[in-house]
Amino acid sequence: MSVHVSTLQARITGESTASSPLSTEEYFVNMGPQHPSTHGVLRLVLRLDGETVREVVPVLGYIHRGIEKMGEHGNYRQFVHLVDRMDYLSALANNWAVTMVVEKAAKMETNDRIQAIRTLVCELQRIQSHQLWWGVFGMDLGGFTPFFYGLRDREQICDIFEKTIGARLTMNYIQPGGVMFDIHPDFVKDVKAFLTYFKSKMPEYDALMTENVIIQERLRGIGKLSAERAIALGATGPVLRASGVAHDLRKSEPYGLYSQVDFDVPVGTVGDCWDRYWVRMEEMRQSVRIVEQLIDNIPEGKTFLVKPAAKIKVPAGVHYSHVETARGVLGVLLVSNGKDAPYRIHCRTPNFNNLWCIGEMATGGRIGDLVAMLSSIDIVVPDIDR
Amino acid sequence: MGVITDNLPGVLEPLPGGSVLVTAVDQLINWSRSNSLWPLTFGTSCCAIEMMMATGAARHDMARFGAEVARPSPRQADLLVIAGTIVKRMAPRLRTLYEQMAEPRYVMATGSCAICGGPFMYHSYTTIRGADEIIPVDVYVPGCPPRPEAFFYGLLTLQKMIREGESIRHPGERRRPVLAALPEGMTLDDIRKEMQDLLSHDANVNMTDAAAEGAHYSAELKDF
Repeated sequence: MSVHVSTLQARITGESTASSPLSTEEYFVNMGPQHPSTHGVLRLVLRLDGETVREVVPVLGYIHRGIEKMGEHGNYRQFVHLVDRMDYLSALANNWAVTMVVEKAAKMETNDRIQAIRTLVCELQRIQSHQLWWGVFGMDLGGFTPFFYGLRDREQICDIFEKTIGARLTMNYIQPGGVMFDIHPDFVKDVKAFLTYFKSKMPEYDALMTENVIIQERLRGIGKLSAERAIALGATGPVLRASGVAHDLRKSEPYGLYSQVDFDVPVGTVGDCWDRYWVRMEEMRQSVRIVEQLIDNIPEGKTFLVKPAAKIKVPAGVHYSHVETARGVLGVLLVSNGKDAPYRIHCRTPNFNNLWCIGEMATGGRIGDLVAMLSSIDIVVPDIDR
Repeated sequence: MGVITDNLPGVLEPLPGGSVLVTAVDQLINWSRSNSLWPLTFGTSCCAIEMMMATGAARHDMARFGAEVARPSPRQADLLVIAGTIVKRMAPRLRTLYEQMAEPRYVMATGSCAICGGPFMYHSYTTIRGADEIIPVDVYVPGCPPRPEAFFYGLLTLQKMIREGESIRHPGERRRPVLAALPEGMTLDDIRKEMQDLLSHDANVNMTDAAAEGAHYSAELKDF
């Protein structure tokens, strides 16, 4: 049996616009804010012509909770738990972004053990986040099995986090001055068991979706985003890397222990939905590599270097720091007036910029592909609205 | 169902032994209602992920309680699970969704945000402090986010409430199981008043103080 699969040439030059010989009329469709495929309360206003999408306008604010303003009312450690609720699938990376800017500004010291633990848990959470994305992506494309597979394996990491951190989703773990608790005595054993388990499951993921010709044909050539437009729109993370730009803060501005580990940054070629899918699958393998290199070499030392009740004072001025979460660059801008509470905090969240790429991707395409494109961006709506 | 609930009590009651029959019909209706809850997929933030783990994922399965048929349309659903924060902009939509659901409809508030505003209770200018300010809530499931087990406990409580709480003699009237009592000498109005005082204290800004601080600060910031 032979199957037809799009070639690379066809994906680059192929026409993605739909045309109809019938005379059509433009009309508007309101998608959301209560819609199963918008991953929360995102609202999209679609201008359609028959089945062709002419314009997509995201309408925001349905989960705007004023997190940035709330940050001004507490001290720096009190702000950490609020960013958990922004991008709840990369809660630890969010914690780290705030921690990093406070530590850099207040010139607080850390040690290798703290950095190793932070790097390890962040990479585990990157795997966890991509597993959830993989499952939900499969469900958005119409298959229910990936959802079961993805969330089954995600539970294993949830258990590891629960033992050490005590939470499954909103972690509040990485704090200015260290991490909240030392790792559980079983942590190393559990992570190794998980890696063995997960590596045996990756072929299953591939057999189910990556090597599935229906999935490939469904995703190839739709939702194309060129490297220039991705940069111009401020896209980061897998969305940017799928367009062929090898930008990863873990490589370009290494923080934590990323400079000591060996890993690759997967990049795509065309920037279509398939590339975004492939980049995330490859990132899971790279995260497994990072965890494998670090898990046996956690240095000894203290895990919290300041007194828990200590007031952290940040010198007056403007401070900025950023990390690479599972979705892209999360930057935290901190304006301090020298007191123990921030004067102003602004978060440059990855999802906000990634979301606006949907206009570029979907315009001229078909409405049937819109959900696949939206899901391939992997948005978390509370991170957009904050 | 409408014919049964509207006309049946009037027909049955006058008959000899009719009251017993009405009670039996009550039990049958409530038993079937409690075991065929169709939830509406309505997740606004973090709790939606734990809801997904509870309803569809591999380890926990809501189908055992007859509640796995998640419906995206409110017209086909009879259980509204509010999973996540409700903000001012979403509140009218939540009310619309509730009103679109057919009777009998049940509401579960999952997570601290849907109960009282949770971590966004203080200093947030948009959060609604609890979904019950907009729609009546039957069961509250605390947690931030609640574990799937907690969610199941809430679901079982709701099923218990449905089985015991309603009679076709008085459709629309529900009896809630008493779960906790208030301390001596304290009424619900006291708590409400204290809450309102706290919130209004937080919401009021002294403009002179704030302006003075801002001016002082902008002078400091000129160097940057």
